[in-house]
Amino acid sequence: MITIQLALFAKFSSRYPDPGSGRGARAHDIADGTTVGALVADLGLATERRITFVNGRHAPDDRQLAEGDRVAFFPPVAGG
Amino acid sequence: MREILRVDMSTQQVKREPLPERWKEYGGRALTSAVVFEEVPPNADALGPDNKLVVAPGIFGGTTAPDGGRLSIGAKSPLTGGIKESNTGGQLSHTLARLGVGAIIVEGKAAEGLWALVLEADGSVKLERADEWKGLGNYALAEAIAKTRFKDDRYATASVGPGGERLLSAASIAVTDREMRPNRHAGRGGLGAVMASKGLKAIIASDKGLGMTEHADKDAFNAATKKFGTALHEHPVTGEGLPTYGTQVLTNIINEAGGYPTRNFSAGSFEFAEALSGENMREITMERGGNVKHGCHTGCAIQCSRYWVDKDGHYKTKGMEYESVWSLGGNCGIGDLDAVGDLDRACGDIGVDTIEMGAALAVYMDSGAIAFGDAAAALETLKQVGTDSELGDALGNGAEAVGKKYGVERIPVVKHQAMPAYDPRPIQGIGVTYATSTMGADHTAGYAITANILNVGGAVDPLSPLGQVALSQGLQIATAMLDAMGLCIFVAFAVLDKPEALEAIAGMATAHTGKVWTIDELMLLGKKTLTYERLFNAKAGFTAADDRLPKWMYTEKLPPHDAVFTVPDMELDSVYDFVPETAAGMGIA
Repeated sequence: MITIQLALFAKFSSRYPDPGSGRGARAHDIADGTTVGALVADLGLATERRITFVNGRHAPDDRQLAEGDRVAFFPPVAGG
Repeated sequence: MREILRVDMSTQQVKREPLPERWKEYGGRALTSAVVFEEVPPNADALGPDNKLVVAPGIFGGTTAPDGGRLSIGAKSPLTGGIKESNTGGQLSHTLARLGVGAIIVEGKAAEGLWALVLEADGSVKLERADEWKGLGNYALAEAIAKTRFKDDRYATASVGPGGERLLSAASIAVTDREMRPNRHAGRGGLGAVMASKGLKAIIASDKGLGMTEHADKDAFNAATKKFGTALHEHPVTGEGLPTYGTQVLTNIINEAGGYPTRNFSAGSFEFAEALSGENMREITMERGGNVKHGCHTGCAIQCSRYWVDKDGHYKTKGMEYESVWSLGGNCGIGDLDAVGDLDRACGDIGVDTIEMGAALAVYMDSGAIAFGDAAAALETLKQVGTDSELGDALGNGAEAVGKKYGVERIPVVKHQAMPAYDPRPIQGIGVTYATSTMGADHTAGYAITANILNVGGAVDPLSPLGQVALSQGLQIATAMLDAMGLCIFVAFAVLDKPEALEAIAGMATAHTGKVWTIDELMLLGKKTLTYERLFNAKAGFTAADDRLPKWMYTEKLPPHDAVFTVPDMELDSVYDFVPETAAGMGIA
């Protein structure tokens, strides 16, 4: 197992495995070798349009996650 | 039939003129920039009688085109020294369009006194003395204006507060929303000072009993409108994200990307971003019974507006926009929405640009005079703006004025105008827009955040210089077109992803005006608008050296990505490569 920091924003915040613990980013354990795509599937977000960041940079679904990575998912958002 | 309403403040004469044939295809920003280009000497004193304030609804003003009620206000800017179009929501665009006004041109300068320009629904227009309104903030002024109107009147206003009367370079013009609250602002570039310099305190326009403007082909217009509205509704940003969270939905994602300018652009992420976020603002607003979904003008299909209320549920200010919360919040190290709401309210009442004020406060904090994060001191300082305080004058003249006065070297401006809420080092596309826009640093001029961060309209690596010039150029042209049409630029999120949305704009324009608009012609309108602006600025003395970010942004690394701006100068100089050919086609130079 490895531990990542998971951050779900806007309407995705209801998809935390423990949604009662608020909106903030939190530690999340995943199996070694888990990719962004696999994590998305685990969270039930596979069919949602989304923007993915790993450590503050956009990341593709085949990106393999490492211990301590910060992973953030956003639904389509914009403004300005 | 649209007309020009020419208001000579020197003589208090008001006359109507037919819209000249050469401007028939122009509205909004295209019209304000054409008038300023043709009628304002580029070397004019921005606060003198030769400058002109031009107020123009877009082509779709007064119609049911979704999000078609944006208003353009133009002049030579006292802040940048170049041409300015400041764009605002609120109800005045529709009101003026229903009155048949293509543009109000305010020129000259009153020898004495304060004045109000009053347009009645019966077509009469007059200038009235308004000396008793001297010094009033925008909210007190709105109440005073209401007392002069008849019961059940339907009217909209544009007004200046003490910031404008003090002739400050960051003074805004407040426009009323549908509830007649003066909370929408043509904020950027000091146009409130231009308006006040002429002796004009308010424009009051009634459209009571008037209907929508007529179309060349009503059925075709309605069909195109339906197509456009459907595209806006179906796109996840315009149909869901913006209505739910407002523009504040950006706080977390820009912070996540490391592009959230913090404590005067010294870091790219803020530890209290979540407290300032759109998600948190929505929760608090709902708990307090505030409004979380609101249109700033009739016909808005996106509804990103909202009202911010205090702890007792009383209206405080409009739901703060992302850029305002950033400037008055994270950029000043302040992580509390109520504190930001107080600052936003003060800006709105005094009549000053929230972006410029937050940037100026942060530069002042960087001088060590007050601490980053000290919200009480920030509010006390801000409230000096519009008074005879020396500090208030410096602040009200913007970030650069504060930096020069208090010896701060990190001044985040281009063409003397403060950068908004996206650091251009880790988001290089917006840096191209800041550097090259005819407006000075302005995110709305070419919102490269789309492809750089939001994956709207494609994806361009925000940390790389590659592809940024083409991205910014395309967006600057398209934005100028939307501004000319009077469309809210947020429709661009749908337009960039849905080809049918752009076709619908061409369809609405054709059906409304009777002239066939192709997509190429729409984009040519954007190019023409930028050409007027670029040529005006060149005559006002701007050179390639002005199309650059501040030097420190090329060397000072921004954490967390340790980014510096790397787009080469030669590429920046190619953004306006279409201008000579466009100018030749327009017969101007």
